[in-house]
Amino acid sequence: MRISTQTLFDSGAARIGDLQSSLYKTQQQLATGRRVLTPSDDPIAAARALEVTQSQSLNTQYGTNRGYAKDSLAMVDGTLSSVTELLQNVKTTAISAGNGNLGDGERASIATALQSSLDQLVGLANTRDALGNYLFSGFQTTTPAFAQTATGVQYQGDQGQRLIQVDSSRQMAVSSQGQAVFQGGGQDMFKTLSDLITQLNTPGTTGLSAALTTADNNLVLALNNVSSVRASVGSRLQELDALDSAGSDKNLQYSQNLSNLQDIDYTQALTDLSKQQMTLEAAQKSFVQISGLSLFKLL
Amino acid sequence: MATNILSIGQSALTAAQVGLSTTSHNIANAATPGYSRQIVIQGAAQAQNFGYGFMGQGTEVSTVQRVYNDYLGIQAQSAQASKSGLDSYYTQIQQIDNLLADPSAGLSPALQDFFSGIQDVASNPSNIPSRQSALSSADSLVARFQSLAGRLDEMSQGVNSQIQSSVSVINSYANQIAQLNDAISKAQRATGQPPNDLLDQRDQLVLDLNKEIKATVVKQGDGSYNVFIGNGQPLVVGVTTSKLTNMTSPTDPSKIEVAYQASNGSTVIIGESGLAGGNLGGLIEFRSKTLEPAQNALGRVAIGLASTVNAQHRLGQDLNGNLGGDLFTLASPVVNANSGNTGSATVTASISDVNALTTSDYRLQYDGTNYTLTRLSDNTATTFAPAALPKTVDGVTLNVSTAPAAGDSFLIRPTVNGASGLGVAITDPALLAAAAPIRAAATTGNTGTGTISAGSVNTPPPPNANLQQPVTITFTSPTTFNVTGTGTGNPTGLTYTPGGTISYNGWSTTISGTPAAGDSFTVGPNTSGVGDSRNALLLGALQTTNTLGNGTTSYQGAYSQFVSQIGNKTRELEVTSSAAGKLLTEATQSVQNESGVNLDEEASNLLRYQQAYQAAGKVMQIASQLFDVLLTIGQ
Repeated sequence: MRISTQTLFDSGAARIGDLQSSLYKTQQQLATGRRVLTPSDDPIAAARALEVTQSQSLNTQYGTNRGYAKDSLAMVDGTLSSVTELLQNVKTTAISAGNGNLGDGERASIATALQSSLDQLVGLANTRDALGNYLFSGFQTTTPAFAQTATGVQYQGDQGQRLIQVDSSRQMAVSSQGQAVFQGGGQDMFKTLSDLITQLNTPGTTGLSAALTTADNNLVLALNNVSSVRASVGSRLQELDALDSAGSDKNLQYSQNLSNLQDIDYTQALTDLSKQQMTLEAAQKSFVQISGLSLFKLL
Repeated sequence: MATNILSIGQSALTAAQVGLSTTSHNIANAATPGYSRQIVIQGAAQAQNFGYGFMGQGTEVSTVQRVYNDYLGIQAQSAQASKSGLDSYYTQIQQIDNLLADPSAGLSPALQDFFSGIQDVASNPSNIPSRQSALSSADSLVARFQSLAGRLDEMSQGVNSQIQSSVSVINSYANQIAQLNDAISKAQRATGQPPNDLLDQRDQLVLDLNKEIKATVVKQGDGSYNVFIGNGQPLVVGVTTSKLTNMTSPTDPSKIEVAYQASNGSTVIIGESGLAGGNLGGLIEFRSKTLEPAQNALGRVAIGLASTVNAQHRLGQDLNGNLGGDLFTLASPVVNANSGNTGSATVTASISDVNALTTSDYRLQYDGTNYTLTRLSDNTATTFAPAALPKTVDGVTLNVSTAPAAGDSFLIRPTVNGASGLGVAITDPALLAAAAPIRAAATTGNTGTGTISAGSVNTPPPPNANLQQPVTITFTSPTTFNVTGTGTGNPTGLTYTPGGTISYNGWSTTISGTPAAGDSFTVGPNTSGVGDSRNALLLGALQTTNTLGNGTTSYQGAYSQFVSQIGNKTRELEVTSSAAGKLLTEATQSVQNESGVNLDEEASNLLRYQQAYQAAGKVMQIASQLFDVLLTIGQ
């Protein structure tokens, strides 16, 4: 077959060009660590990687959300622990007020101590979180949950439960509405305390023992109510821990997924690189040799 | 006798000289594109009868001709047209492929950041910095959409200018071919010999023309070429040429089209189908098959996101206690009347259902009786009578101001400006509607175990006018209840189903458990409900909801589809363009094998003709010596 001199040069140069561009591509892949440099390198993997990235970013966001949820729940738990302590103190004080040796004046001073406990309790019920939101007023986080009025302590919040998205299909309540905590379970802590104070401020012992019994019963109910709320908060905190560990498992899985989809297999790529390098060198050498053959040289 | 030898020697000398100069010409043009090697056609001269036999009279050169095979030439031209077309398409689409290459620079991260911002607000609804950060991420999302749309727009302008330059190159080639036609036929008429180098030049021009557009050649009896393009439009006929020109698209002022100007001066736009192959064909195909769908696909994600987020946002309540407004502003569909329309009708289009939107453009045509709406991506036509207006097709509602003239047409592009026209509608972080506008409560002192759910606002917006009217649900027995409140119609004696949905004034709630007679529940305005994030949670959930493509895909999914379509098409073009390259190489090599110069061959020819020249010289020298013998006799 007849071959033109131009073909010899053209095809030699074209082949070297092809080899150089595949070598360049392998080098780019090695330099970036990515097998998929543009979507056309693997359209399915590229699209899939975008979806996995979204899932991973959502998973990270749920982790952040769980952080917020933990902060809120820990705040509620801490406050309720103080409430429990306060109620236990009140209970002890109430029992001591039943001592028959006490006079009116002594009972009045117990009443003063209880008044300060009541104020403290209202303070606890109006606890705010780090951002200044009232913990126990439902949706109305800028309104104090309870206010002392002429007719006693009144709830000013609502029955709204604040929810946080803690996982793809789990919205967790992170607030406990104040009415259910402080005035639920068949008692009203504030009324129990203020009734007791009124009784202790009343001279004489008429009705004292009955009032103390009622107060004691109500305090038991209150303590039970608070501990059941705390149990629910505790179980939610536990759930968050479980979700956290599932979340980091998922994160690892997503990272692995992404890596499988778009990262380079170094062994394969380095093998390719040396293979391509060898072929290019052979092509270059043979091209120089062949193109150097000319009859004119011998004339 | 000696004179005869001398003239024979001279003819040999001349033939050897022609051989030497033809060989030198071949050597000189070994690298000239389109050059075909030339050979000397040499024959013995007419012999003379001397009675005792025919005496040879030397040699004569009948012609110098080029070695060229028309059939191989045509194959190479056609391979060149398809290779150039695919190359130009591939070069263009690579720009989009590279634009989407970096996963951290595309739309996805901005989309994820936006929804992270919304989630943050859902976790801290009354926190202004969280709200501010959500608004900022909305701004970045819009900026990302606009920058992607801007790059696609630049590409579309680039295509316009490349079409213009390609058209002027085609016209210039056409003129040169016509001039060569003229020169070649004149030369052939005058000498009867083929003007080899002119023929090569013309074939090379036809090959170059095929780089710009697919052209077919019909050879005429006088040796001139008639060149046809597209669907058989003559570009060159003998020595006359027709021109291609550029025209603004009658239906889209931002688009340059190619028009054919016949020799009688009339201009007609050549459609996409008439411009296959070559650089120009590749550009046109890229524009209609990839660039415009890409702009639409991106626009659809933008419009889909903006409309669905807006719809949910308007069902919420902002930090000031007002109902939410729009979070995003979005672009309306683009409608262009054909500049050739004779009627005065205007068409308006609006998006009524983003879920049904496609990424196609549409053409509305009026035939005097009925309208035909054609979806241009697959040419699906919908025909309807004027009485059917306003007409909704694929989520787009069309209306026409007055009856158009018969034959009038309109181009409707629902999503083309979706990405570039996206904006953030609010700047005040307090206006983010994170809360729901209603809340439900069980009345203190209820004796039953009934509980009421938090309640939600019914879709779609706008919310019911009585949404926030206080409503009381009072149980008259554990199984029946009455409802009182503005807008409810105060129904009585309704049957209670535990867990069943109770819906009035555009809200829905459920009551479960066993309420006692006399128990009541209320639904009313969410006054001061700044800690509520029910609406923000619903906004956040949109990220993974299939809101587009008739409920088949999410925003991210629609964008991934777009990326994978571009990736697939680029890959396909990479493969087909490389295959076309191989075909072109083969065709070029076949031409070269036949017509190309081989320097070794020429070196041997050089030796051959050199020796022939030396031998002819020797013949003449001997003839001269013979003559000298005769002269000596005379002395």
